[in-house]
Amino acid sequence: MTIEITTYLVYLSISIALTIWVAHTIHKNGRIFLVEVFHGNEPLADSVNHLLVVGFYLINLGWVCLALKLGYAISTAQEGIEALSVKIGTVLLVLGGMHFFNLLLFSRMRRRATMRHGHPPVYPDAFTTVEEV
Amino acid sequence: MLLTLLYDPSCGLCQRVQGWLADQPKLVELRMIPIKTEAARKRFPHLNHELTSEDLTAISDKGDVYFGPKAWLMILWTLARYRDWSYRLASPELLPTTRRVVSLISQHRYQISHVAGLSR
Repeated sequence: MTIEITTYLVYLSISIALTIWVAHTIHKNGRIFLVEVFHGNEPLADSVNHLLVVGFYLINLGWVCLALKLGYAISTAQEGIEALSVKIGTVLLVLGGMHFFNLLLFSRMRRRATMRHGHPPVYPDAFTTVEEV
Repeated sequence: MLLTLLYDPSCGLCQRVQGWLADQPKLVELRMIPIKTEAARKRFPHLNHELTSEDLTAISDKGDVYFGPKAWLMILWTLARYRDWSYRLASPELLPTTRRVVSLISQHRYQISHVAGLSR
């Protein structure tokens, strides 16, 4: 097996493992947020959670595939590790970016949901009786 | 919750705002009654209706009365698109400015209506 092929295989296995780990974390911890956003409607929260994770997988694995090609020849193990490091670093940054984007989505959903049931912004000036006509 | 708005039908600006309000998506039902009418006096028998001609009045179905700038904030609060603005404008940092601007507009509503060509 050439050094290139080894580098590619190591790159793929590390990237895919990282993607699965982050997706699993988001899936597990995002659920609590979503259950609150949907007022305890757990089936709906699970469904949205699942759909978000699917999108996360698609974007990340798509990126991992597109970034696979090295574009230059490597001859030594040192060069292989350096190339690997650059590739994994990029994947980590993309994963980080996607992760924060997901957090942003969760917090925005939550803010919107809590605002819908919010109290009036000010206290009343006075009270009066209301007759239903 | 239901919010009743007592507005001045003789001011063109208020008419225009009322039309705009009717089209906005709402989180809380908003009902509009012209001030000092039979309907207003019947619904709020113990309210001082003379005061309602001085500034906009909003009253909840529980009898909470919001007057002037607070009534404006309550209207924003009923609107799905502007509820976050009602909280922002009611924050301690912005409330004084909100009061000033709203009072200014209220006091000069006839002039503004006239200048903007909204008076009838």
